[in-house]
Amino acid sequence: MATKLAWRAVIVFIWWCIITTTTQAIWLDLPDSGTKCVSEDIHNNVVVLADYSVINNQEDSHLHPAATISVKVTSPYGNNLHHKENTTHGQFAFTTTESGNYLACFWVDGNHRPGDRLTVSLDWRVGIAAKDWESVAKKEKIEGVEFELTKLEGAVEAIHENLIYLKNREAEMRQVSEKTNARVAWFSIMSLGVCIGASALQVWYLKRFFHKKKLI
Amino acid sequence: METTMKAYAILGLLVLSNFAGDVSALSVTVNDVECVYEYVLYEGDTVSGNFVVVDHDIFWSSDHPGIDFIVSSPGGNVVQTMKGTSGEKFEFKAPQSGMYKFCFHNPYSTPETVSFYIHVGHIPNEHDLAKDEHLDPVNVKIAELREALESVTAEQKYLKARDARHRHTNESTHKRVIFYTIAEYILLAVASGLQVVYIRRLFSKSVAYNRV
Repeated sequence: MATKLAWRAVIVFIWWCIITTTTQAIWLDLPDSGTKCVSEDIHNNVVVLADYSVINNQEDSHLHPAATISVKVTSPYGNNLHHKENTTHGQFAFTTTESGNYLACFWVDGNHRPGDRLTVSLDWRVGIAAKDWESVAKKEKIEGVEFELTKLEGAVEAIHENLIYLKNREAEMRQVSEKTNARVAWFSIMSLGVCIGASALQVWYLKRFFHKKKLI
Repeated sequence: METTMKAYAILGLLVLSNFAGDVSALSVTVNDVECVYEYVLYEGDTVSGNFVVVDHDIFWSSDHPGIDFIVSSPGGNVVQTMKGTSGEKFEFKAPQSGMYKFCFHNPYSTPETVSFYIHVGHIPNEHDLAKDEHLDPVNVKIAELREALESVTAEQKYLKARDARHRHTNESTHKRVIFYTIAEYILLAVASGLQVVYIRRLFSKSVAYNRV
């Protein structure tokens, strides 16, 4: 009897978790016209998982049908990764093949009353946050404290990788800075040389001119 | 009995594992006002995060004065305000559970791109432990560890966004150095050419014997 109650509590809680997991997303307000875009700078070979849905918070939502939105996700080189029109919810997943700015744009379709505030809930997960821990637990048959610690180990590895990536980016930027520094020095000295050269050229030309005019 | 305990253990773990609200570091373009909403499950949760203004055109004017950042609680009160900043970290304890509004205000007409990261973290305290006696105290330590790692991750995202901003500044400086120097050389050449032409005109036959 107690077992049944306990398992029922687990199922109710799993259901609550699923509901509240969808609220771990951020909400965005969509303007009536124009698009709202969110972007992220992602590097190569990273899993991206996203879930979006329109939040219908009008009191008379049962009278009017939910407004629909269109979504477009593009890669930094302009390739279309996901494009859906007239939808109220959806999801997309991809592994990045190029390093750069990934853009997800939302816009409202024409068929909705003006004056409504349309809210989209977007759950955007990149990298370690997109990892499917449930399947890992099932495959490796771990549970409980060991499972939590495995998740923490994954998080630490992700931190390590991020640190190495930041270090490399900083090294690249330092190279650009030092190149700029060297160029500033060289170009300033060269401008002095150009100045002297121009004035020498002027003097030589005017001397030749006055010689020709027999004034000197 | 065994299965009951197992069920409660799984329940406890599900409760724990659902305690982090997280969003990846997204960038949004702020034209005038842009608001982002995030749900806070429990009162007393620590909401932490950061934002950085990533690209800004500083070509002809002085540096952009920055954007304003305002956090409102579900009750409508302003929880945190930051004015005229180009990037900050923030942290506060949520006074109530519900939907929090994070708004960026851009006082100028040039659109700015803001990269932000928001994290809602909960550590089960003695009250949660007392409610469910099968919740192991080790889970509290694990939650604290997870929050510490999340703060490291948040710091890394902040550093990455600041690095992107510095990279923009650097590349714009690099381009400007070359452009302005070449323009300077051309102007110098043109100015000296004009000088020579003027002096030639002064000594031309029609003018010379009367003026110089």
